[in-house]
Amino acid sequence: MLVKLFGNLRQHTGQLAVTASGTTIGEVLQDLCAAYPSLEKAIFDSDQLQAHVRVMVNGHDIELAHGLDTPVSETDQIAVFPPIAGG
Amino acid sequence: MQGWTGKILDIDLSSGSINTQPLDKEMARLYLGGRGLGGRLLWDLVGPEVDPLAPENVLIFTTGPITATGVQTSNRFNVSTKSPLTGTLLHSNSGGWWGMQFKRTGYDALIVRGKAPEPVMITITPEEVTIEDATHLWGKTVFETTEALGQDRNKRNVLCIGPAGENLVRIAAIMNDRERALARGGPGAVMGSKNLKAIVVEGDAKNQPADKDQFKFMLYETRKLLKASPLTSQAFPEFGTAVVLNAVNEIGALPTRNFQQTQFEHAYEISGESITDKILVTNQACWACPITCTRLTKTSSGQEGEGPEFESTWAFGAQSGIDDLELIAEANYLANDLGLDTISMGNTIGCAMELAEKGFLPADLRFGQAEKLHDLIHDTAYRRGLGDDLAEGSYRLAEKFGAPQLSMSVKKLEMPAYDPRGMQGQGLVYATSNRGACHETGNMLGPEVLALPRLIDRFATQGKAGIVSVHQDSAAVVDSLVYCKFVNLAVAEEFFARTLTAITGIRFTADDLMKVGERVWTLERLYNLREGFTAEDDTLPDRMLNEPVADGPSQGFTANLAPMLEEYYQFRGWDENGVPKPEKLQELGLADLVAVA
Repeated sequence: MLVKLFGNLRQHTGQLAVTASGTTIGEVLQDLCAAYPSLEKAIFDSDQLQAHVRVMVNGHDIELAHGLDTPVSETDQIAVFPPIAGG
Repeated sequence: MQGWTGKILDIDLSSGSINTQPLDKEMARLYLGGRGLGGRLLWDLVGPEVDPLAPENVLIFTTGPITATGVQTSNRFNVSTKSPLTGTLLHSNSGGWWGMQFKRTGYDALIVRGKAPEPVMITITPEEVTIEDATHLWGKTVFETTEALGQDRNKRNVLCIGPAGENLVRIAAIMNDRERALARGGPGAVMGSKNLKAIVVEGDAKNQPADKDQFKFMLYETRKLLKASPLTSQAFPEFGTAVVLNAVNEIGALPTRNFQQTQFEHAYEISGESITDKILVTNQACWACPITCTRLTKTSSGQEGEGPEFESTWAFGAQSGIDDLELIAEANYLANDLGLDTISMGNTIGCAMELAEKGFLPADLRFGQAEKLHDLIHDTAYRRGLGDDLAEGSYRLAEKFGAPQLSMSVKKLEMPAYDPRGMQGQGLVYATSNRGACHETGNMLGPEVLALPRLIDRFATQGKAGIVSVHQDSAAVVDSLVYCKFVNLAVAEEFFARTLTAITGIRFTADDLMKVGERVWTLERLYNLREGFTAEDDTLPDRMLNEPVADGPSQGFTANLAPMLEEYYQFRGWDENGVPKPEKLQELGLADLVAVA
């Protein structure tokens, strides 16, 4: 499925959108980190997401779903944001 | 009285008189400075009988007790006046250097009254204050004026209006340090109505803290916290404020084509990431700021300047259906040079585009016409052709052409870059903001989207009133001290209180500060009530309340304002009509004000 990586996370993949697979968002992100190993430190702190890293499935933050256990399917759009702020 | 100079400069442009009056110490303790002090002074000086563009309106420039101390972001200042766009109390604050420099001239505040018979400028130094002829500057742009008056970043700073302010455009900004803006609500038009072109400041007085050792410690601790936070040490320097554009778009809350959609298909092309990739020259900082969020950019045509910030990018971009980043950046440079509020300008252009597309406005104007941005902005500042209608802001524009419902504004102030249907709390912020639709008075982007300090359900309404109220009070504190709100991402009120204590020698706690915030908020509410505003004005555009989002992550939602508003009034200690109850006024020390109203 399509995963978009914003901000400085793009540096790890060299592009905005990449593909990865898995049945939960945690598996998808691990698959991504296997393909782009430097990404792991930017996203994960041990087995949890880094503070301020936001992951959304179809525009909905996984924290309000089932966290890294949130189920995903091939048609889902995933977005990962590093720590950001603004306004 | 450390932290404050204890002096207010009071200039009457009608008579040419220049006076100094003492700052009331108790007023300083209760309202601190900036927005709080400005609002309190405005309460006494400008009543409901005063037209915002009449000589009887005043401009009150205020600094805070932290200004010019050197504590991180202690560069900011505020202007308070009655808004010619909304008719409400208006406060607006800006960074850069001017605020710091003004404080160094030895004053906490400047009141400008009356109207000069011919264009004038004011120069303020510790030794003297002069009012001089500025006929030769009238008609010049902001950049021309700033250069002509010898802007020198750390020594001599220029605040001025451009053609928009001179032409009484209701969305005109006051600009300082070339590209910094006191923008929202049209303060530039008030300055223009006074025939005041510029205020130049050159100072050397130090704002020395009462407890130097403790102050140094707080500086060190604040620096440490700002460095430790990835938000203030990485996100802002790398991508600037527009880095949030993709996130707001992703969740389906990025207003697009005058809020008809909530996602822009070209969001990435105009985002902070693309600004960094395509037009960024370098990042910059205001005085005493380690965050360095400012973008210095340059387009392929050779134009360069600061920005665009998130809101400006959105206003000239998604709101207008435009995806050409270079033209958006150039529109931003032009709006700054002519002295316009970029949020209201872009929002009003989007409104005009929808009016034209739907046949209300007889103009060849469509969403996505990037090539028309320049002329629309230019004509607004000079009130030429359609620009004369745009200069009135989106509400008056849409009303004139028979479709006021197409103005995306609250209390006639154009809404910024968040759609309340996808962020319910933000809708409550817009509806209750004392200066009209504004995110800066209690932005819910943090809790509703970025999990700052923690994530809450953006579609929920129950419990939002309390969170919004606390955010609003906190923003009023920051605006009164005057800090930059971005510091607040890493540093909490407890730190502000300890720093303020070190500077002033007066013990402040975080609770004390939050009480100041509530006092400031309530005072502003009282001001608007005195002007005739009612609970009916605490609302949102019909589109937000009754048109569900058609698709995307916010599909099916409208802004469910009524239950939040009811809860909000209760939480604030106001009655069902949105009027603060006597016991609340007593608690905040505001009862005397209402008794004399």
